[in-house]
Amino acid sequence: MAIEVAHMVTAAHAAVKAQVARINDLNVYPVPDGDTGTNMLLTLESLLNETSGRSYDSPEEASRACARAALMGARGNSGVILSQMIRGACEVLADRDSLDAEAFAAGLDGARERAHASVREPVEGTMLTVIKDAALAAREAIEGGSAYLPSVAGAARLAAHDSVRRTPELLAVLREAGVIDAGGLGVAVVLDGLYACITGQEIEAPEAGEDEVPDLEAIHAQEEAWGYCTEFLVDGFDGDAEEFREHVYDSGRSVFVVADDDVVKVHVHTQDPGAALSYAGGFGRLAGVKVDDMEAQVRSRGPVERPAARLGVVVASRGEGNRVLFEQMGAVVIEGGQGKNPSAADLARAVEKTGATAVVLLPNNKNIVPTAEQVDELVAARTHVVPTTNIAAGLAVMVGYDAEGEPDEVVEEMCEISDSLRVAEITRAVRDARIGDREVPEGAYLGFLGGELVAVEGGARDAALALARKMVGDGADVLTLLKGEELAEAELESILDGIRDLDDVIEVEVRGGGQPLYPLQLVAE
Amino acid sequence: MTTAVVTDSTTSLAPGVLERPDVRVVPLTFHFAEDETYTDKMDMSNEQFYERLHDSDVFPTTAQPAPGAFVETYEALSDYDDILVLTLSSKFSGTYESALQAAGIVERPVHVLDTRSAEMGSGLILLEALRCIDEGGNFDEVRRAAEMAIGKANVLFAVGTLEYLAKSGRIGRAQRLLGTALDVRPVLKVEDGEIVPFKRTRGRKRQLASMVEEVRPAAEAGRTLYFGHIAAPELLSELADRLGVEETLVAEIGGVVGSHVGLGAYGVAHL
Repeated sequence: MAIEVAHMVTAAHAAVKAQVARINDLNVYPVPDGDTGTNMLLTLESLLNETSGRSYDSPEEASRACARAALMGARGNSGVILSQMIRGACEVLADRDSLDAEAFAAGLDGARERAHASVREPVEGTMLTVIKDAALAAREAIEGGSAYLPSVAGAARLAAHDSVRRTPELLAVLREAGVIDAGGLGVAVVLDGLYACITGQEIEAPEAGEDEVPDLEAIHAQEEAWGYCTEFLVDGFDGDAEEFREHVYDSGRSVFVVADDDVVKVHVHTQDPGAALSYAGGFGRLAGVKVDDMEAQVRSRGPVERPAARLGVVVASRGEGNRVLFEQMGAVVIEGGQGKNPSAADLARAVEKTGATAVVLLPNNKNIVPTAEQVDELVAARTHVVPTTNIAAGLAVMVGYDAEGEPDEVVEEMCEISDSLRVAEITRAVRDARIGDREVPEGAYLGFLGGELVAVEGGARDAALALARKMVGDGADVLTLLKGEELAEAELESILDGIRDLDDVIEVEVRGGGQPLYPLQLVAE
Repeated sequence: MTTAVVTDSTTSLAPGVLERPDVRVVPLTFHFAEDETYTDKMDMSNEQFYERLHDSDVFPTTAQPAPGAFVETYEALSDYDDILVLTLSSKFSGTYESALQAAGIVERPVHVLDTRSAEMGSGLILLEALRCIDEGGNFDEVRRAAEMAIGKANVLFAVGTLEYLAKSGRIGRAQRLLGTALDVRPVLKVEDGEIVPFKRTRGRKRQLASMVEEVRPAAEAGRTLYFGHIAAPELLSELADRLGVEETLVAEIGGVVGSHVGLGAYGVAHL
């Protein structure tokens, strides 16, 4: 008995190939990476290569060859599950002499069983649901008295498409993205191909519905001004993903929960972000928490609440560039520094604004250090002062900051960095003066290193290079320069050239800080 | 009782390991574009790969071996009584799943272990399993030796830039290193099968010093160190030098892991 299966495989492959772009575009679950269609097609391609032009001596031989070929080519999650379906069907068909209605139904059931067994945590609203519904419909058709293969295959195919349409009802992530399940559609399309082959008919390519393009951006764009827009990641997710998803879904609107390995990303509009966060905190470590008050935004007040980090940072800083740098690193910035010292109450308010129970204070100026040390008595949070004496030092210390880390360890790390820094700055004499045993004329550029006056020069470049020479000589590895508002761009370039002449190995980083009074601040590590 | 060991291409192979008849390696693949697929460590030299990575706008995606590739390998080892499979961390790739799927298909017992590591880490774990085989251990002993090694493996590495880790999106808790306004040269480690930040440092020297400090106790205790790098042999030599050890085991990290850590990365593993 010569068995050929290539015509069936060719039909299934052709059907998926015609829809591959559509299936790819739908892909949201489990990860929106847009390759579900490609993965399923590659799996079928391997099967096609195996069966093209081949005939087998027995159904058993054909089954084994097909199951193996599908496995060989299985790519990605959806491909592996499809290969398991093919394997399950093949195992059933191995001892059938012909593909009749009963064998077809049994094959689908075998596919269903293998597919479910291959997934550790079966999720409804996916390929698994679609194959289950298709197998059930085929079985019902048989039990209803039909022994005609085309009608059983037709029933299975229609049930598969119905099932695909219902996937958003079963899986919240699909519902939110406004799509049907990509892998599920792939299964239905494979059945379309088989049906076409069985009946000898062409199948019209179904038109993609307008609602089928996943519109993750749209979730944001259309979100209503209700409650707090709460976004976060649950890292090291451990627990029942479905239960989690359902709970989050029930807790608010515009919910979007997507998982990648053990990281789960959540977007939810809720009246109680605190409850959502503490619930999620039971499943893993929270990261990237962002809470915006939607209603307040509508009232043009801007975001109100800050997320509750484990450890917050408050910095006193001057200059727009510096403010942006510190905020990028997660600090609450209070405008204050030389010539504009903040009060302890100002700092206390900033501490409360962090919402954290432990807060590091970076005074970034020696005159603010004593004030910062008073703050602990004024606030409920535990505060730690890392006595940074200029803004550049504060930035270097921020490198050790980790909002999600163990507060004590992070504070220790930040203190260690602070202790290892060499801090310098350039400022100008506002009047003729005598500092130590040096005569300092008004307008002179003064270079301070570690608080000691070490250079008095007529220009910023000379003062900067005098400082850099000492810092390089001390064995610095990285030199960070913060450009103040009074330093010209050309002057900065000339300073950088000068530093490179001193030492071509040292790593130099320059940031535009925009601080007043200090044309340049430097920190060496 | 004979035992064979199967691993994947992300495991660093010490000299002589690949030539052993009782060791098989199943390759992962990566592709830059849909039609441009390469086999890890085989189709391109490391130099070519990293040049391509540097010039490419798209980040290569890596693909786990098809379960079938493991099936074929298991079947080819019919001369052996038992098979132990050591895969890279299941948090980095689905290779572990593929190997498991395949184990369910072949009609013989195959034991699959997730090394929760990769490259030099899994390389040391493999060496432990092979050492046990060579000492005449039975399958249970070999498996236990591998499991013990998995529990002890420590991988520390330095990256030249966070750019690749960020692009790859597979960095677990190391995600928290991103978003720093200054250039950070972190030291990372592999813990529980994922990449986590060990220390944030600025500057190459401090990065090196922080690794030396962490690894020194192991080096002084005379434990085997497996070094690895991506086009950074000088940095590696400096590390070995500072630790006061010879570079006996040195791996050139392949494209699958390399695409996540980038050029200039280097590190060391020990048990």
